Amino acid sequence: MPAGIRRRDFLKRAGLLAVAVPGVATVLDACASVVPTAKARILRVGWTIEPDTMNPLTTYSTEAVEVLQLVYDQLMHYDLELKPEAGLATSWTYSSDAKSITYTLRSATWHDGKPFTSADAKFTFDLIKSSKASQYYQWVQSLVSTEAPNATTLVLHFSEPQAFNPGLAVPIIPQHIWTGMTGAQIQKFANSHPIGTGPYKFVKWVKGTSIEIQRNESWWGTKPAASKVSWILFQNEDVMAQGLKTGAVDICPEIPPTIWKGLAGAQHVQTVSLPSFSFHHIGINVSDNPKSGGNPLLKDRAVRLALSYAVDRQQLVNVALDGLGTPGSTLLPVGFGEWHQDITESQQFNADPQKAKAVLTAAGYIDRNGSGVRTSKDGKPLSFRLIAIQSTSVDVAAAQLFRDACAKVGIQLKLTLLDANSLGGTVYNAHTPNWDIFVWGWDAGVYDPDYMLGIPLCNQIGSNNDVYYCNRHYDQLYNEQSVTIDHAARLAFVHEAQQYYYDAAAYIIMWYQDKLQGYRTDTWKGWQRVNGGMVLNFTRDNYLKVRPV
Amino acid sequence: MARLRYLGRKIAWLAITLYGVVTFNFVLFHVLPGNPVQLLVRSGHLTQQAQAAITRVYGLDHSLIVQYLIYLRDLLRGQLGLSYTFREPVSTLLGQYLGNTVLLLAAATLLTIAMGVLVGVIAANRRGGRYDSTTVTASVIGWSLPTFWTGLILVFVFGVWLHAFPIFGSQTPNAVYSSFWVRYEDIAAHLFLPTLTLVVVNIAQFVLVARVSVIEVLAEDFMLTARAKGLARRRILWSHAVRNALLPIVTSSALLIGLVVSGAIEVETVFSWPGMGRLVYNSVLNRDYPVIEGAFLVFAIVVLLVNFASDLLYQALDPRVREA
Repeated sequence: MPAGIRRRDFLKRAGLLAVAVPGVATVLDACASVVPTAKARILRVGWTIEPDTMNPLTTYSTEAVEVLQLVYDQLMHYDLELKPEAGLATSWTYSSDAKSITYTLRSATWHDGKPFTSADAKFTFDLIKSSKASQYYQWVQSLVSTEAPNATTLVLHFSEPQAFNPGLAVPIIPQHIWTGMTGAQIQKFANSHPIGTGPYKFVKWVKGTSIEIQRNESWWGTKPAASKVSWILFQNEDVMAQGLKTGAVDICPEIPPTIWKGLAGAQHVQTVSLPSFSFHHIGINVSDNPKSGGNPLLKDRAVRLALSYAVDRQQLVNVALDGLGTPGSTLLPVGFGEWHQDITESQQFNADPQKAKAVLTAAGYIDRNGSGVRTSKDGKPLSFRLIAIQSTSVDVAAAQLFRDACAKVGIQLKLTLLDANSLGGTVYNAHTPNWDIFVWGWDAGVYDPDYMLGIPLCNQIGSNNDVYYCNRHYDQLYNEQSVTIDHAARLAFVHEAQQYYYDAAAYIIMWYQDKLQGYRTDTWKGWQRVNGGMVLNFTRDNYLKVRPV
Repeated sequence: MARLRYLGRKIAWLAITLYGVVTFNFVLFHVLPGNPVQLLVRSGHLTQQAQAAITRVYGLDHSLIVQYLIYLRDLLRGQLGLSYTFREPVSTLLGQYLGNTVLLLAAATLLTIAMGVLVGVIAANRRGGRYDSTTVTASVIGWSLPTFWTGLILVFVFGVWLHAFPIFGSQTPNAVYSSFWVRYEDIAAHLFLPTLTLVVVNIAQFVLVARVSVIEVLAEDFMLTARAKGLARRRILWSHAVRNALLPIVTSSALLIGLVVSGAIEVETVFSWPGMGRLVYNSVLNRDYPVIEGAFLVFAIVVLLVNFASDLLYQALDPRVREA
């Protein structure tokens, strides 16, 4: 009975209620609590967001990917330093023009016992390319052809050199299960019992409760110590934190700042704060669409600069994030290390209300009627609509601080709070984007600059491009970095692109929030700290490498 | 014959109301700003073709009126559609969540009604006494407490401080049960705190209704007659007074029983109970129309059926309703 609870426990609980004497309770507590843990070596993760689907091609949730990355192998994975390591591919080589990648594959077995071959890998890339409707499609857009010359070799041919190796992103799926499905069938496929080659086999998903996977004893790699991994869903963070304190879970990958601070010093609990791959920003509608309902004054860079100068990002971090983050500037968060373009403080458009006023005055915006709101030469007031997501409390706090800071330099902001989908519907209404300024954030899709640098592209209007920025020079910088294999040369393009977009001031990046996690020290040991988080990150290795205490 | 005509009329009304509810739900949620595909766009460079393809798969490329007709057609075929979020049939999803919800709310509702009525009747019988004032005050205090606050206090006292009961979920995650009994006990333990919360905050209405109706009946002349006949006190109270005070109690019960399937979002949130309340809430945020429509259809059917049943029960209880 590895994870059982005993009948006695219930009787004790019931008896306890009758007695209800705290002193007795504490004594009984030690033996009465349900502990289905260490002996069975289950690693239990507590979180508050449920995955959407176990279909790796149609999932859009980070949580689903977290589970699926242990069920499906990729050709390559990230190690605990976020460097590429071998997955189903033991090695990979680029052709001289960097347009073709040849992967040498290992022998492996699907969870249903069928052998894995290069045909499965080829099938996966072909299917993603042909069905189009997957988040992985972005990595195969320039894929021209695929080859599987023998059972252990896969060759991908692209029309352009590939700075980002798609082997690091795409989960390999079995041809014998997915073959013959049309795009629409894939969309409707729940894949309720996923079959992969990964270190864990899928066991069950009890909706609204938990997901369980169990160790694949015939996996090709070093066997992980946890015989099972389970993700337990909490509907509120307070009780999740209590769950960590009482030992109901071993690690919580996402904890809100105030609760995280409250966990400090709890017995057998270690809290960890790590740089993340996320930012929150203020987005300004700069759409050139004649049907745009955005206030045209925002297309004047002077006004956007003034908005940027008006607000103090350090104050936003201190107040909204309780200090648990880094003031923001460029598109790539500090978690990206050298990829992040560091702009010296004196060069930043930040926390300088005097400068904001000077910029506005120089551009002809002055307070002409004594109302405290500046107007343009033709009498249009600097008065804008500001929208934020009601349930994202950090954004609401930031929006209020931003509004008050702007009022001091003569810009009026009218704040409206919406639910996430309404805000998305308003911002992404590409036909008639009728809004002025919003607050929300982005998470990086992969550990590579490409994803976030791709947000402001012209061709992302109608997709990720939330402020409708479109600039040919920026697009060109992006394209250069995406086809440059030489690291130093690519780094230069990545920095230049960030600086260019920063100067346009369509985004006011407020902060790079810390990833706040906590784990128990008396159940599993060997948690490695990684930028982006020990778990719920681009690497799965902490799951594979932790050992029981 | 009159009886049959009455039934026929009631059933016709039932069908019309149901159609109205179905249509209202469809319109209500489809006119909300935002759409399900837009949420997906933010989660990965979805190309415009990909968005269009997903929109087609969901049938969202049709006009609202066509979507409505398709929805009605599928409904008549007994199909509730596919959840946009989970991409599973809505009927499967509802099945999973309804089970949990009915378990929690049936237990809580039955307890609330039984205990509430019992306490209320005794309070009426001892009107003005210490028992009366204590129970009435206590139940009204319970009623005025916010549900989530009561839940959190119970979590703190029984879960965190006393460690007496589990504080989240409907059963111990990953537990392997040695027998059916052990599993049953585990679920019962998980039920305890959410049920207690619901009883505490809801019991007052039954205490008060039962108390007031019984007090009213006790003042009637036939009570004096019963006493004069020399009937036992207990028999007068339970067989004569309570029997005649049942109508308002049945009405309140029908209202509460109708809500058994709809979940209790605050309690579900505090205790991480996987029930209908959270499912509907999240589905509204995700614009998961098929799930919302399916859930509200179930709610509507159950509320209508319970009201129908209580109408019939009135007739059985009160001859005056029958004749009217």
